[in-house]
Amino acid sequence: MSKLIMIVDDSASLRTVVGIALKGAGYDVLEACDGKDALSKLTGQKVNLIVSDVNMPNMDGIAFVTQVKQMPAYKFTPVIMLTTEADESKKAAGKAAGAKAWVVKPFQPPILLDAISKLVLP
Amino acid sequence: MSEYDSALPAFLDEAHELLAAMESILMDVQGQQPDSEQLNAMFRAMHTIKGSSGLFGLDAIVRFTHEAENVLDALRAGELSFDDELNTLLLRCHDHVKAMLQELDHPDVLASMAAPPLIDELKAYFRQQTSGDISPLAASATEAPAAAEQSWLISLRFGREVLADGMDPLSFVRYLAESGELGGLQTISTQLPGGDAFDPEQCYLRFELVYHSAMPLAKLNDVFEFVRESSQIHIFPLATAGRYLATVTQGQDEAEQQAVAAAWQQLGVVIEAEAEVVTEAAAVEAVAPLASNLQFAQAAKQASGAVARKTEHKETKTTETRFIKVEASKLDNLINLIGELVIAGAAANLIARRSGQSAQIESTATIATLIEQIRAGTLSMRMVQIGEIFSRFPRVVRDVSKELGKSIELHISGAETELDKSMVEKLGDPLMHIVRNAIDHGIESVETRLAAGKSATGNVWLNAYHESGSIVIEVADDGGGLRKDKIVAKAVANGLISADAMLSDNEIYKLIFEPGFSTAEQISNISGRGVGMDVVKRGLEALRGTIDIDSAVGEGTNFRIRLPLTLAIIDGFLVQIGKSTFVIPLEVVVECIEVPDDLKSDGTHSHLNLRGEVLPVLNLSEFLELGEPPGKRQNVVVVNYGESKAGLLVDNLLGEFQTVIKPLGQLFSHLRAISGSTILGSGEVALILDVPALIEFAKQKEVADFAGQTEQGRAQLH
Repeated sequence: MSKLIMIVDDSASLRTVVGIALKGAGYDVLEACDGKDALSKLTGQKVNLIVSDVNMPNMDGIAFVTQVKQMPAYKFTPVIMLTTEADESKKAAGKAAGAKAWVVKPFQPPILLDAISKLVLP
Repeated sequence: MSEYDSALPAFLDEAHELLAAMESILMDVQGQQPDSEQLNAMFRAMHTIKGSSGLFGLDAIVRFTHEAENVLDALRAGELSFDDELNTLLLRCHDHVKAMLQELDHPDVLASMAAPPLIDELKAYFRQQTSGDISPLAASATEAPAAAEQSWLISLRFGREVLADGMDPLSFVRYLAESGELGGLQTISTQLPGGDAFDPEQCYLRFELVYHSAMPLAKLNDVFEFVRESSQIHIFPLATAGRYLATVTQGQDEAEQQAVAAAWQQLGVVIEAEAEVVTEAAAVEAVAPLASNLQFAQAAKQASGAVARKTEHKETKTTETRFIKVEASKLDNLINLIGELVIAGAAANLIARRSGQSAQIESTATIATLIEQIRAGTLSMRMVQIGEIFSRFPRVVRDVSKELGKSIELHISGAETELDKSMVEKLGDPLMHIVRNAIDHGIESVETRLAAGKSATGNVWLNAYHESGSIVIEVADDGGGLRKDKIVAKAVANGLISADAMLSDNEIYKLIFEPGFSTAEQISNISGRGVGMDVVKRGLEALRGTIDIDSAVGEGTNFRIRLPLTLAIIDGFLVQIGKSTFVIPLEVVVECIEVPDDLKSDGTHSHLNLRGEVLPVLNLSEFLELGEPPGKRQNVVVVNYGESKAGLLVDNLLGEFQTVIKPLGQLFSHLRAISGSTILGSGEVALILDVPALIEFAKQKEVADFAGQTEQGRAQLH
């Protein structure tokens, strides 16, 4: 069974491109447009990894990840944050919330794929 | 990147949406400070475009948007204040990004656009705003917080695992230093083990610090939001901190307690004796900061309640815009198919009726009803709000009025009125010309306005509404109005009319739509080249629309554009004249009456007394030169368009018919009275009558006859 990766970003084009890249690498993809949308789509199914933006409307990435980490089913799901925030304390906040890695936007898809391959166990 | 090209249209759509949102915010605020939601939205626009551009390897856009994003970020952080100049700069950034998006196919052009002079202007503005002491805004920015600055004692005892959790304790201290002043910092290392017991991945240090800042306690608490659970964080007002020494050292060994006490003394905290000795009392005292924390918690709850309400508000907004994007060509294809279905349905209906079997007639009738519903539903998918066009005008008005040095306010109403998507695209240019014209020629200069006793600010109104199957769009201004004498003089000079022509007001006004016509003495950058208004006329004619003008000298002008609601399928009314069948659009039909006895007929033209109202009546058989004898029982179809009414004399009324409009070829484009054709159930072709043109013709004929009669009368007199 192929691995399911959730991508949370308010930019549809980013989701599309990342989606193409992920599917090309053999992953299944679940898309959500913001934190709230993403939470509503996490319904207990096995998600192998979450890629989330930080700056989003409705619910930002930090709040989203904080909540994900409180859900028993997703407590141990690794999270990669996508951001341009260079602010250390924000980064720290994201890590504290449970993010495992950071990919700084703008990025090219292979960089993200590389990060994902390190976190998704075979 | 080629494998991602399929996502490019989505990127473009999204970027344009974001840019439109940014523009509308910039237009809304008009130099006023935007609220944080608006700032966030603008920041996110640049941020998202930058992020997505990076995915497609569009480095030029990344570089430019990065600069714009920096400025917006500074704005968001309160480092910059918003003013009219920045408003204009940001609008230009918006324009530039938009221009870059249009050059995606030309990488070299795009690359050259990465660092326009605009960037230097942005940077210059940034420098001027953030560093210069001269700037009163910068001065007040540093003064304001000084008034509310408070001193705190912060005790940070991080959890051992804080480093393993990916956090740098020092980053919090550095973060604090950014928005306030560190009055002193003591590091307590009593817990640091020696030798083998030391684990480099653990945090053994404790920090006690004095902090001066205007940051409210709630926000200060937030700084440590993510370490709160694993650490012991205490924040007290510096003045009363001495009471809580026991609280912060509770449960720790003596060495640490003493070290903390020493640190506090170093930091200038006056430790109150009883608290140091009596731990029970301290526990009671500890309730105080807890209570205060509780208060803050409540305040925070209220605040988050307000945020929740805001997000709720936002959610209703997003549900409104929860659309599925469909390629326009797919929808066009569907509508074509439904057109064919309508025709095929009509054929089936006809066959059923000929067969005379009631069961078959009934089932085809049911199908016909369903087809009608599908048709209505599909056509409504193509309907979009006219606000889509209107929304670009605030910007146009702002730019053009600035260029001309006029002060103009734009009022928009009826933006939610719907019309066919294909029309929206073609309506943009004609409307733009009319609005520019209204600003340029209509609204007078400030001096002229003041001299005429008007307000210095001119007004332009854009309004849209539905009226009897048409959509009406009005562009009005309170400017100088159209000068009939000037128009006539100019038209005569240009040879458009003869010097002794007798024209109605409306006819005079319509002269401005003739090619090569312009009355403005001074040719400006905006209009006045005489190409604008005839483009308007041609553009509207292509949409089967008409334009009327009302004007009063000194009071203003009102352009009223009338367009059919849809261009694809309409409800028609089928009539028979001789052996031919014609379609009259149902929306213009008012009533049908039998030919009254008192109808005075003289060839193609006659008139009718309709309950006291005199109506010109056009004999279609004569008018269309069908050359067939009139039927035995003729009928008059009363039609209405705008403010004009007329009767059309036909032989038979065949009833309602869903009409799929098929355009006529080039060969028939000169025909005035026919607007299109359709296919009947029998496979025959029926022509669709152009009612506005017919009414116009009936009226002209009447005027001409009347003139002829008076001539005759005069001849008889002499």
